[in-house]
Amino acid sequence: MVPATSCATLATLSTSAVDNRRVIGGLRQWFDPEKTSRVGEPPDYRFSLANERTFLAWIRTGLALIAGGLACAQFLPPLQIVHLREIIAIALLVLGGLVALRAVDHWARTERAMRTGADLPASRFPAILAIVVALGALLLVVAVLLQALK
Amino acid sequence: MTPGHGTTDRGVSAERTRLAWRRTGLSATAVGLLAARPAFAPHAGTGSTLVAAGAMAGWAVLIALAYRRSRGLKARPPVAGRRTIVAYAWLTAAFALLGGLVLLF
Repeated sequence: MVPATSCATLATLSTSAVDNRRVIGGLRQWFDPEKTSRVGEPPDYRFSLANERTFLAWIRTGLALIAGGLACAQFLPPLQIVHLREIIAIALLVLGGLVALRAVDHWARTERAMRTGADLPASRFPAILAIVVALGALLLVVAVLLQALK
Repeated sequence: MTPGHGTTDRGVSAERTRLAWRRTGLSATAVGLLAARPAFAPHAGTGSTLVAAGAMAGWAVLIALAYRRSRGLKARPPVAGRRTIVAYAWLTAAFALLGGLVLLF
């Protein structure tokens, strides 16, 4: 008889192997997207186009964040806290790059789900991005108020 | 799969997608110009000139990709643009890196 604990370990191992395969499969989709076209059935092309437009909307969001970072770097005067201007610029640039990479990942996973007839992938990313942007705005409001009170 | 029975797609979804590509191209133009701007300042260094060259090259590729995709969208049914989409996302991420270089020079 196999002890229950080792059964549980085996189960975790096999699920993590599946997870790994899924992650690697997801990465491969980024580099070799033609592979996706061999999975499942092609969906109504209008759904694919809608997915593409959602991807483009995210790309524009990313580009706007990158433009914000570039504008901060070039148009803000040096701030009172050392390197604060550079920190804001880099935060916006990193966020923009992340949004772009997340966009293609989500696009690939949605495309795959539509082909296999699975549920569309759920994502916490929009909520996280909203919270990060709101916190950043709040910090800046505090910084502006402190500067005004001085 | 083509649209189901009783529905007619008169190319509106392809048109909307084409316009979305155009809007994205306009955003990319703004980013490209902002990245190239330091090279036109007086006493600009070699670094900013190289960054500007990279930004212009990346911008040209982004516009070319969008143009290629627009032609694919004109076909009935529209052809899938998987490689174009993936390449566009990677180039956008590369622009974020290029923005980091703007800070250095």
